[in-house]
This record gives sequence, structure tokens and C-alpha cells, in this order.
Amino acid sequence: MIHSLFAIFIFPGFLFLCVISLAAEFIDRKVYARLQNRVGPPWFQPLADMIKLFGKEDIMPEEANPLMFKGLPIFALAAVATAFLYIPLWSPESLFSFDCDIIVVLYLLTLPTIAFFLAGWYSTSLYAMIGAIRSLTQLFAYEVPLFLGVLAPAIIANTWSLSGLIAFYRIHPVLAACNMLGFFVSIIALQGKLEKVPFDIPEAETEIVAGSFTEYSGRLLAMFRMAIAMELVVGASLFSAVFLPFGFGLPLAGAIAAYIVKIVFIILLSCLIRTLFARMRIDQMVEFCWKYLAPIALTQILINLLIKGMVL
Amino acid sequence: MAKVTIPIGPQHPSLKEPESFSVTIDGEKIISMTMKLGYNHRGIEKACEERTYLQDMYLIERICGICSHTHSTCFIQAVEEIAGLEIPRRAAYIRSLVGELERIHSHLLWLGVAGHEIGFDTLLMYSWRDREIVMDLLAMLTGNRVNYAINTIGGIRRDINADNIRDILKAVDTLEERTKYYIQIATQEVTLIQRLSGVGTLSFEDAKRLGAVGPTARASNLPRDTRKDDPYAAYGELNFKVVTDTHNDVYGRTLVRVGELMESYAIIRQILTNLPDGPIAVKAPRKIAPGEATSRYEAPRGEDLHYVKSNGSDKPERVKVRAPTLANLQSVSKMLENGYLADFPIVIAAIDPCFSCTDRMIVGVHHPDGELAGAMDWKALRTYSIDWYKKNRGVNFKIKA
Amino acid sequence: MTIEQDIQQTLIQQFPFLDGKCTVKRARRLSATVDYAQFRTLFDFLADKTDFCILCTITGLDEGEQLSFIYHLAREDGVMIDLKTSVPKTNPIIKTVFDRFPAADIYERELIDLLGTQVEGLNPGRRYPLPDTWPIDEHPLRKDWKEKEA
Repeated sequence: MIHSLFAIFIFPGFLFLCVISLAAEFIDRKVYARLQNRVGPPWFQPLADMIKLFGKEDIMPEEANPLMFKGLPIFALAAVATAFLYIPLWSPESLFSFDCDIIVVLYLLTLPTIAFFLAGWYSTSLYAMIGAIRSLTQLFAYEVPLFLGVLAPAIIANTWSLSGLIAFYRIHPVLAACNMLGFFVSIIALQGKLEKVPFDIPEAETEIVAGSFTEYSGRLLAMFRMAIAMELVVGASLFSAVFLPFGFGLPLAGAIAAYIVKIVFIILLSCLIRTLFARMRIDQMVEFCWKYLAPIALTQILINLLIKGMVL
Repeated sequence: MAKVTIPIGPQHPSLKEPESFSVTIDGEKIISMTMKLGYNHRGIEKACEERTYLQDMYLIERICGICSHTHSTCFIQAVEEIAGLEIPRRAAYIRSLVGELERIHSHLLWLGVAGHEIGFDTLLMYSWRDREIVMDLLAMLTGNRVNYAINTIGGIRRDINADNIRDILKAVDTLEERTKYYIQIATQEVTLIQRLSGVGTLSFEDAKRLGAVGPTARASNLPRDTRKDDPYAAYGELNFKVVTDTHNDVYGRTLVRVGELMESYAIIRQILTNLPDGPIAVKAPRKIAPGEATSRYEAPRGEDLHYVKSNGSDKPERVKVRAPTLANLQSVSKMLENGYLADFPIVIAAIDPCFSCTDRMIVGVHHPDGELAGAMDWKALRTYSIDWYKKNRGVNFKIKA
Repeated sequence: MTIEQDIQQTLIQQFPFLDGKCTVKRARRLSATVDYAQFRTLFDFLADKTDFCILCTITGLDEGEQLSFIYHLAREDGVMIDLKTSVPKTNPIIKTVFDRFPAADIYERELIDLLGTQVEGLNPGRRYPLPDTWPIDEHPLRKDWKEKEA
């Protein structure tokens, strides 16, 4: 019992996730800055930002529904933190692994987006409302390619559990290379989930101020920011388990090092995408996802089915 | 979703200066747009009537922080025309030189702002980094990064020497190389082209009918350029071409501006090679004979127009400023028709609006009976804030009488 | 004959009352003065027949007894004419040229706010450039206007 609580809240649960999220945010911001020819923030900047936000006053619009307005940031944070518990980080088994946990993780990662939508909706502000609608529109565009991309490796492995997946690819490491199309699709779709360029449409500051978060301030905003920072780490961890299932058999120190290398690699990829592109328009984004991402993801599924039928 | 009207401004992240737009949208489509200008009205035209010509020049330079040389030169040209002063050729060349450096810094600034408006912050960081090179050059030549104050009635204040020329030529080479890279980005980057082409279209006929000026007009293939049409300073002796484009959209306006950067580098090289020797200013009288003159100048944003009327004293009778943005506002409404909300910021940015220029002029808003409808005056606001802190924070500020 | 003189001759031929009131000030600059009664005919002639297709701006002047307006018209080749007309200050009414030049809208609103001109035929719209709270009868660019003490 005590051991479980420690695992959930301290290590490798919530607190640990907070720490690596802030570290991940720092890497993201620093690399983004260096790629743009800027100096970038010092290492403690994400933490300082959080402390500052937590110290600020919470302002709530008079019209807003207080329960929803205050509850949603916690809801988003909890959903992401829970998803983290089901992902194998360096040991081949996750903390609470069970059959079909990959599906649960994917749905838990959808929850924050729903929370962003509801938060915008219940803020009763025009900017927030438009941002909320954009969040939801975008969700329907990137979610299907993301799910298809992440589930494709599971088709070969013939299991819906992350630990099963890792066990399978430990036996057949070469087959992991077949999932690169899915990896590519997922990384791009992740940008939509994280609401980052080129899919930062829901919070496009030059159009709708801060989208769903326009009315948020202080602690509540800090929680949303934290949830997004965590989403990056959780997403990267999920991808590293699904697409880069290496290093799990190493001794503990080596396994941890492998984990760090993998998620930093994924964060760098995400950062590079952020640097290279301009923000798309919502109609262009939906078109792009359905015209290119979804067919590529389907191709990946097809390839995997063929491999499964012919090779295994 | 039903039709909603969202306010953009007076304070909004996409606007660098306060102006208020009300955009009615249906889903993501813009149905209509109304604007309220005048937030930057500072009473400069009125203030000019109470100052001497030389003081006015410094005041007018502060109409705008970006095209400050534009306004001061345009004003000075009108004054010199009334006074019948012929400025030395060297002064004319140096005025053109500073004007072109200003154009480069303004266009690089625009490129960054445009990048930011479409969420391409990398472009913003790159072009603003390069803009620093020009700013340093301007600081070296004139002593200031903005509001250069190089003009004076009858010529210019500061001469340039061989060292300056060498530094400028070196910097221009660097800038040219970087600009080539931006041209490459503008013609190859997919998301950039997708976000810019077909957005904010303004046909040739509309541009002509609505009186568009500057790069906005030139991107609709309308070759309006005051430097060519009505040469001033040294432009009559310089060889350059007017960059036009047939895209008619924001993408075209980007290409025109980047193309103009390349032209400006060529112009600067010509100026420095052909720089005549001689004095840099002629003596100007303190009082200007009665008369009037209209002066035009091609600002980075388009044609700037100043009208000056003198009454024989040392102060002008009337100064009128028409900044390029004002001429382009009608075109903006046209460009936004049937556009997307997401394109609103970039369409507005594409005319390179300068609302400070546009509004120019306030002297202080005082209602005749001393109170303002719906607004707090300074004293009431102060009392309110002190009460608020007393009530909510337990802090008691002393009011000094 | 230069192009400016050419335009000058055309104008005087068409409108004999311009004789002596239309001058060439320098290269590419003409100026003309006209009574308000004949203003619109001359204005349309300039715009339609002599290619003055750009309305640069309208300058308003307070000249004591009367308010004067200078319509700065330009051609694509850079020739520019300053067309000046006046109305009495006691009855400062002009008609809009918005129908001919859409850009005139904002210039005319400026005349209303700053000089107290009345412009007939202007579409309803928000005032420019003074704020909505500014008193409607105060016109800062009138020479007799003084800033009121708070």
C-alpha cells in the first residue's frame, strides 16, 4: 500500500514526472532558442515560471461556472499523470501494467484536450470559445492518425499491452524498424496534441489571444501549463516504448540512460518541427491530417498486416 | 456556431499599436469588419503650428519610430521648397542613403512581424537579428538607432567619411547574403507559402480604385513608387527598378518587400560609389517666406505626403501629414472580405500598418464641464486604486496633496 | 511644351474661369483655385479626363473668414495638382467625393473632427481621429481653438 502510494505520488509517479517535465520543457525551450539564434532561458526558468504563476492571483470571469473553471485544470493534470503510470519507462513492465493498457493510455491522453475545450467553453469569453472550438476540431483531425500510428506496432506484436509489446520487440528487434512510418505520423500528430507549431491553432496568440486559456491566470493556468509540459514527456515516453523499444534489457543505469536518450531524441524532433514551420490555418490542418497523415498511418497498418501474415 | 463579433484591439497581441477592430465572424469566416482609429492621435499637426520650423522637424520625426527619416525628410523638403533652398548634392545623396537604410530596417522588421503573425517565430528571430546590423549602421552614421535627426533645413547635420563607407559596404554584403536566404525560404517553405498565398487578395483594379500605395499597390502589379514618379533627394540620378508582383496577395507583398531589400542594397552601393564631394548644408533663414508646398516621399510603407503652409514668420501656418497607412486602410477592408479569422493578423500586417503615423496627433482629453462620460479621469482612477488596495490588500497609501 | 503646361492649357481651355488661377509651381506640381460652386465639375474633369486618378489627401485650412480645402490629386506619372476651394466658415458644408475616391472617406472624417466641416453624403461610421468622448463642437485645428483647463 505504502509502496504503491510512494510509486504513484513520488517515484516514478507524479513528483518525478513534474521534475522531468520541467527538465523537458527546459530542453525544448533552450533548443528552440538556439535554433532561432537566441540565447534561451537558464535551466531553472520553467520552474521559476511555475513558482511565479503559483504565486499569482486567480482571476475568474463572473459569468464562468466556478466548479468547471477550477476543476478542469486539475482534471487535465490528473489525466496526464495517470497515463504516465501505465507506460514502461526503463523496466519492461510498467507500474500497473495490465492487458490493453495501451488503449487506456491513449484515451487518458485525449482527456486533456477535452479539458482544454471545456475550460475554454466554460470561460464564457469569445476568444476562449473560439479556441475551444478549434481545440475540438483539431482533435478530430489528428486523433485518428495518432491512434492508428501508435496501434500499428501492436498489430505485429499481437498484443494490446505495452509490456507485451516490449517483450515481443525484444525478441524481434528488427521488426521495430518497420514502424517508422507510424512513428513519423505520431510525432506530427503529437504537435497537435501539444498545441504547438504548426498546429498551435487553438492558442494562436496573434488571432485569439491565448485561446482556451485566455481567462486563466495564477495557479489554474500553472496547472494547465504543467499538464502540457507533462503531456510532452508522457507522449515521448509512450513513443519511446512503442516505436523505440530498445534498452529495456540493460542493467538499471543503462536502461535509465537509454530512456533519457530516447525521450530527449523525441523532444528534439518535436522542437525541430516547431522551429521549421509556420502555423497552419484550421482548414489546412484538417485537410493535411486527413489527406496525408491518415493515409500514411493506414499504409503503416497495411504494411504491418502484410508482415504479420508473411513473415511471422 | 452563430455569428459573433470579436473585438481585436485596442489591446491585442497581434496589434503592435492600439487600434480597434470589430470582426464579425461566422465560424472561422469573416463576415464584416469595422475599425475605430485615432488611439494614437497626439495633436502633432496642431503642435507644429506653435513651434519653429527646426523644432517641428524634430517633432515630426517622432510621428513614427520606424519611418522617422521619412517624415522629417518629407517635411524638410516642403520647407526648403517654400524657402527656395537648393540643398547640396552630397546632402541629397546622404539623405537617400539614410532613407534606404531605413527602408531596409523597416522591411526586415516587417518580415519578422509577418512571420510572427503566422506563427513562424523562427523567421522573426532571424530577420530581427539581421535588422540589428542596419540599426548599428544608422547609429554609426547619425548617432541614433531610431529618430536619426540627420536632417536640418538646407541639408544634413553629419557628414560621412571613408571609414563609414567601408563599414556600410561590408554590412550591405552580409545583409544581401542573408536576404538571399530569406528569398529562398519565401519561395520554398511549404507552410509559409500555404499561409500567405491566396490570402488578402487585392486585384489591380481595386488597388487602383482604392488608392493603394507602396508595396501593397506594387504587389497588385501597380508600379506606384514616388522615388520613380516624383524623384526627390538623389533618386533622380540613381538607377533602380520598381519591384512589382502579380500575385495580388500577401505572398506577393512579401516577395515585393524582399525584392525591394535587394534593390535597396544596389541603391546604397550606387550612392556610395557616386557620392559627390562638397558641403553638406546651405544656410537657411530662420523665417520662411510666405508660401505653400506639397512634398511626397516614398516611405517603406508607401507614399508619404506633407503639406506645409508658411506665413512669413518662423512658425508654419499649417502642417498636414498624410501617412501611407491611411491611404491603404480602404484596401484592407477589401482584402478581408470572405477571409478567415486566422488570416486577419497577417492581412492587417501585410500593409505594414503604422498607426502612429496614421493618427499623428492629443492634446489632452478634457470635457468642457470637467468630466468624461464613461471614463475615469486620472484623479478618480488614482483614488479608486488606493481604495482598492486599502480594502483588498490592507495597504494604506498616503495621498500627497 | 512640358506636360505640366499642357495640362494647364487643357484646363484653362475647358474652364475659362481658371485663367490666372491655375499655375505651374515647379516640375510635376500644379495648383489651381476654384470657387466651391464649380469645384465638383472641375474635380470630375481632372479625375476622368486628365488622369488624376489618385486622391492623395485633403488638407483643411482655417483661413479666418473661410475654411479652405486642398484636394491633392496625383497622376501615375507623378504630376500632382493641388486643387483649392473654400467655403464660408459660418456655413462650412461640402459634399463628399467618396463616390469618386473611396479613400476620401477617412480624409473627410478628419475634416469633420478637426476643422468642424460638415460633409454631406458621407456614410455613417465612427469618428476619426478624435475619441468618442471628445466634445462634438471642439475642433482643434481651428485657429481660435484653445485647450480647455481641466
